[in-house]
Amino acid sequence: MNKVWRVAATEYLNAVRSKAFIIGVLAVPLIMAISIGAQFYAQKKTDVTPRRFAVLDRSGQLYPPLAAKVQARTDGLRAGGKSVSVALKGQSLKVDLPPQAEFVVEEFKFSGDDLKAAELQLSERVRRKELFAFVIIGPNVLDPRATNGTEVLYHTQTPTYQDLPAWVENTLSGEIRERRFTAAGVDSKQVRELSRSVTLLRLGLAEQKATGEVVQAKRENRIATLVVPVGGMVLLYLVVMTSAPALLNTVLEEKMQKISEVLLASVAPFELMLGKLLGTVMVSLTLSALYLGSLTWVLWRFEQLSNVPGQLFAWFFLFQVLALLMYGSVFLAIGAACNEIRDAQSLMFPVMMVVMVPYLMFIPVMESPTSPFSRGISLFPPATPMLMFLRLAIPPGPTWWEVVLGVVLTTAFMLGCVWASAKIFRIGILSQGQAPNLTKLVKWVFSK
Amino acid sequence: MPPLLSADLKRPAVRLANVTKTFGSHTAVRDLSLAVPRGCTYGFIGPNGSGKTTTIRTILHIFHPDSGEVEVLGERSTRAANDRIGYLPEERGLYKKMTVRRVLAYYAALKGMNRADAAKASTEWLAKMGLSEWADKKVEALSKGMAQKIQFIAAVIARPELLILDEPFSGLDPVNLEVLRAAILELRATGTTIIFSTHDMAMAEIMCDFIFMIYRGNKVLDGTLADIQRQFGEDTVRVGCGGGAELLRGLPGVEMVRDLGQLQELRHGDPQALLRDLAPRTTVRHFEVCKPSLHDIFIRIAKPDLQEMQVPKTTGGGA
Repeated sequence: MNKVWRVAATEYLNAVRSKAFIIGVLAVPLIMAISIGAQFYAQKKTDVTPRRFAVLDRSGQLYPPLAAKVQARTDGLRAGGKSVSVALKGQSLKVDLPPQAEFVVEEFKFSGDDLKAAELQLSERVRRKELFAFVIIGPNVLDPRATNGTEVLYHTQTPTYQDLPAWVENTLSGEIRERRFTAAGVDSKQVRELSRSVTLLRLGLAEQKATGEVVQAKRENRIATLVVPVGGMVLLYLVVMTSAPALLNTVLEEKMQKISEVLLASVAPFELMLGKLLGTVMVSLTLSALYLGSLTWVLWRFEQLSNVPGQLFAWFFLFQVLALLMYGSVFLAIGAACNEIRDAQSLMFPVMMVVMVPYLMFIPVMESPTSPFSRGISLFPPATPMLMFLRLAIPPGPTWWEVVLGVVLTTAFMLGCVWASAKIFRIGILSQGQAPNLTKLVKWVFSK
Repeated sequence: MPPLLSADLKRPAVRLANVTKTFGSHTAVRDLSLAVPRGCTYGFIGPNGSGKTTTIRTILHIFHPDSGEVEVLGERSTRAANDRIGYLPEERGLYKKMTVRRVLAYYAALKGMNRADAAKASTEWLAKMGLSEWADKKVEALSKGMAQKIQFIAAVIARPELLILDEPFSGLDPVNLEVLRAAILELRATGTTIIFSTHDMAMAEIMCDFIFMIYRGNKVLDGTLADIQRQFGEDTVRVGCGGGAELLRGLPGVEMVRDLGQLQELRHGDPQALLRDLAPRTTVRHFEVCKPSLHDIFIRIAKPDLQEMQVPKTTGGGA
């Protein structure tokens, strides 16, 4: 056991001292920080050149209110940048909204019937950059029963700019709706009140205490019911899949660099394999401790830690270790059996298909965690660590016997993987020449 | 190193009894018995693929024999003695991204050495090999010869009782070769048993107390050089004469003429008859009846293999 520990300690120190690990640990927060920073930077670089547009109002009534609203918008923008405040129990984050361009409107006077000539004239002005866009309001836009001339046409050379058309559409729609109500003799304020939509409150279940007191159902917390389960499962998958496949490379590298034979003169193949596995488990646990520690701090800082049940951390680490030993031993066996990375890739394919199962199946499990399918797939050992964790994280969680059965089946399957991999490892680690196929690997497993 | 009892000293360092190892239908080692006495240098020779590496791996318990018994440093059929064995395999490598000091510390730790002893031994050996200033450099920065010396240090750092060296000198320049040879002889002088596999017959002759030759999985030679030479008789003649190898090959009874330049080495059943044949034909400058060299003996045994290996070359066929 001493040698297993020495191999594990060396593997661990080699991994955590490597640049790849440090970059790997910092990568996720760094990428997030860079992307947020880049967005803020890009927002500051938003083009706020005033957008001048012309309006040909064929209704004859809508230009004045539209021009007034443009002016009101400009006054608002000049009064100061907009910001929103996000309040999280005692903490308040003020986020500045991106700066917006001012709009400048002018009326295009047009008398006559040659609409095409007007369109052409305005289009030429857009081409000459005198205008950014022009709007033609249909003559019958205020008549709710009319079938012709009811559209508002927006012409531009820059269709990717969304602010102006969206604003014009909203503003005109509001104005036209008000005018239609007035024309119909209906109080628009009353209509808004009467047509107010219903608010749906998401709640859990009411409970009755032993004393007979009924506890009212609590409002559903999206952080507890969605963010924690999915985030936790993705993190679990991430820390397992960033650690386990690396075993294949380390063992293959030792084989290619002719180190294995020297090691085998000092340690038994099983000790070597176990040492490597344990080293990787320690690396992965370090990784998850760093990530989970940081996330826990953030949740605590914003008083959201109560949404994460304490025992979920224990399940996370248990399933992480089981998954690492299970997948890791298989990757080790493949690495030992092959002589080149190319050979390993072809053997990796079927393994990766199985490893991907939990990732491909998590949405139906999340939507219906107690369905027969979810119960069945979460008891399939290669998928149990991720999917049973997901079910445990979604309140109220699976029944206790399902969890026990899942852990027992996965442990048994993991031990089987380690046993079979040890047989392959023992033969493969010194084998040379052509890489074995799956049939040959099965023969190695059952050889004496 | 624990003190050895006198009973232990009398027992061979390595004892193989009727060991057979097969891989599928191929028998790599057949019914091999061997006893390597403590404190000696035992040379393993044999053509490529004859079973040397399999024998070594069996001694190290990397391979388990199909039948027979393996006893190493008093331990029977277990890896218990492996911490007292140093091993330098023929195909060897080091962790390129690790520093020299860390590589040596790791190999020493795997042999059960504590950290302080390993650090001390590593400093001493690096100084002895002239590599002190490379201790904190990464292995990938070393030249081939330096890496080979580090590999040797890795094999001996834990002060093994038994040292197994598979082709330790291959690829070394003469200066480094001498450094390594001196280190091996020093270990030998301090009582380390050395098993030494080589294709260099001259080196085996000068360094080994005993020679063991394996050929097609069978033991064909085992004993001191003198015993082996005696076994092969005194039919080797070294001749220096006008006409050289060409003339000698044409004479009756002459076998296996080896041109050494100034002299030619050959075999003849009756050296006196050869001298009588030569005298009227040419001027004889040198005529010496001697024991066969290890090289000569090797070729005599392995000649069928060498001939077989040459056939595809001449016919252009594949192996």
